[in-house]
Amino acid sequence: MDLTVVIPSVGLAALLRTCIAHAQSALASVNEMTSAVVVVDNGSDPPYRAAALGSGIALVRFDLPRSFAKACNEAARHRPAARYLFLNNDVLLEPGTLIDMLSLLDNYGPGICGARLVLADDTVQHCGVRFDGGPRGPFHIHHGRPSSIVPRSPVRFQAVTGAAMLIDGAAFDRLGGFDEAYPFGYEDIDLCLRAGQLGMPVLCAQAHDTLHFESTSNRKPNRHAASRRLFFERWQGRFTIDGDTSQ
Amino acid sequence: MTAAPALSLIVHTRDSAATLPALLDSTSWIPERIVVDMQSTDATIALCRAAGFRVIEAPVTAMVDAIRNDYLDAATNPWILVLDSDEHLSADAPEAIAQLLDTQGSAYDAFGIPRFNTIAGQVMQGSLFYPDHQIRLFRRGHVEWQDGHHHPPKVHGGRLLLLAPPCLHIHHQNYPSLESFIARQLRYTLSDSYSTDPASFDFADYIGDAYAAFAKRHDTASDGDLSTALATVLAWDRVMRGLIHWERTGRSKPLGEAFSLPVVVQPGATAAGQSGRAGQLRRWFARLPAPVKARARRLRSRLSDLAGRLRRW
Repeated sequence: MDLTVVIPSVGLAALLRTCIAHAQSALASVNEMTSAVVVVDNGSDPPYRAAALGSGIALVRFDLPRSFAKACNEAARHRPAARYLFLNNDVLLEPGTLIDMLSLLDNYGPGICGARLVLADDTVQHCGVRFDGGPRGPFHIHHGRPSSIVPRSPVRFQAVTGAAMLIDGAAFDRLGGFDEAYPFGYEDIDLCLRAGQLGMPVLCAQAHDTLHFESTSNRKPNRHAASRRLFFERWQGRFTIDGDTSQ
Repeated sequence: MTAAPALSLIVHTRDSAATLPALLDSTSWIPERIVVDMQSTDATIALCRAAGFRVIEAPVTAMVDAIRNDYLDAATNPWILVLDSDEHLSADAPEAIAQLLDTQGSAYDAFGIPRFNTIAGQVMQGSLFYPDHQIRLFRRGHVEWQDGHHHPPKVHGGRLLLLAPPCLHIHHQNYPSLESFIARQLRYTLSDSYSTDPASFDFADYIGDAYAAFAKRHDTASDGDLSTALATVLAWDRVMRGLIHWERTGRSKPLGEAFSLPVVVQPGATAAGQSGRAGQLRRWFARLPAPVKARARRLRSRLSDLAGRLRRW
């Protein structure tokens, strides 16, 4: 099996190097798998240098900041693989998380698998996305709760976050990749909902906690506004309302 | 996705196989690609042919800029992009260039593209190595290169737009080491043209240029110690050029004794007055013969004027 790890990133070189080191450590823990890390330099000034990021890192450069969707799609075209792992540059991947994600896709078939992500204080940042009625729409279930008290059974969801997302390569191609119409955010939810429409499983690996600093690159309060509008234009009334059972 | 623009790429090569792959990969979207090869003996031509380039064989020349004019007519598209064999484009260049020509192509005939230069493993942020605009994207028939090394080409009609970052860039893998930078600079110096007319030579001009080169390039806030190293090399380059020019003119004029080397006085030493480096220099100066001191004072006056102009600039 062949895996491409895709890390879109702008600036924050020290954090990126740490992210890469964790990803490479996790990759080394998996048997019988070839892999490569592709970093998309999304308009960093100065540009990243591949040699400074570590050995064997492929670098795709954008001169202008482009969308997360475009960055991920370009990296997948750069190094096609049987599976892609999309990773934010502020996610420090645990080996157990990767092994769990790969195993779930092996068992459930071609689809998408997210990961349990925790913040620095061991509270949940992501362990699956549910959909509420009304203006709230998609939300991270159990966000902010201590990870230790959130059940670890691998539940199926309508969507998971793209901050750490494993997807079958053929499924990604069939879906046409992320929709580049989304400027920032919600492209991951859109991809999962489209996968669900085709009957692909969307799962979340819960057995291990992986650290996610969350929104390190962009903390603007309205950073998701344009994507959110587009998401609701496209999907309002077309997703299943899960409700919020965690409250 | 915007449609690929009607663009021709021209690349000049000579034994460029080591650096070409990045250029070949990053320009595969350009409809017409032409390589003008100067008698390469490595895999340059094979690589270019395999990538679908049209190959034009050319004689070897040291004057790599002016020779570009002879091959511009080989391009058949209305817009031409010229790259060097150690340059490449980013992955979003197709979109950036298409959008640029779409929105600005009717108002301008040429575009100055900023260039990221990587020297000795460092992407330069200043020291006149950035933004380092290169006039490389232009409408056919509107740009003409000049003799010499690294002189900007003329834009006929003058409709030139220098792109402001963040924007499309040229990515240049200049020199893997400081040593290779020195070697290349010396090669340019030795292969440049110099007048043999003694009236064209005044060594003081070169010394002044050396100080100016150092002052302009010395930018530690942007590039740290590497800036100091490169500024020193480029200051010395002016001195070397002066000596070559002196020889070409028959060594008929004096060199002005000791004022052949740029000296930088540390700010701290200057403030110390008679002690430290500044004091040593003053004592050394006092021992010089009167005619030499007079000439030095004239030079200092010219340098002072130059420094004033630089500050205003």
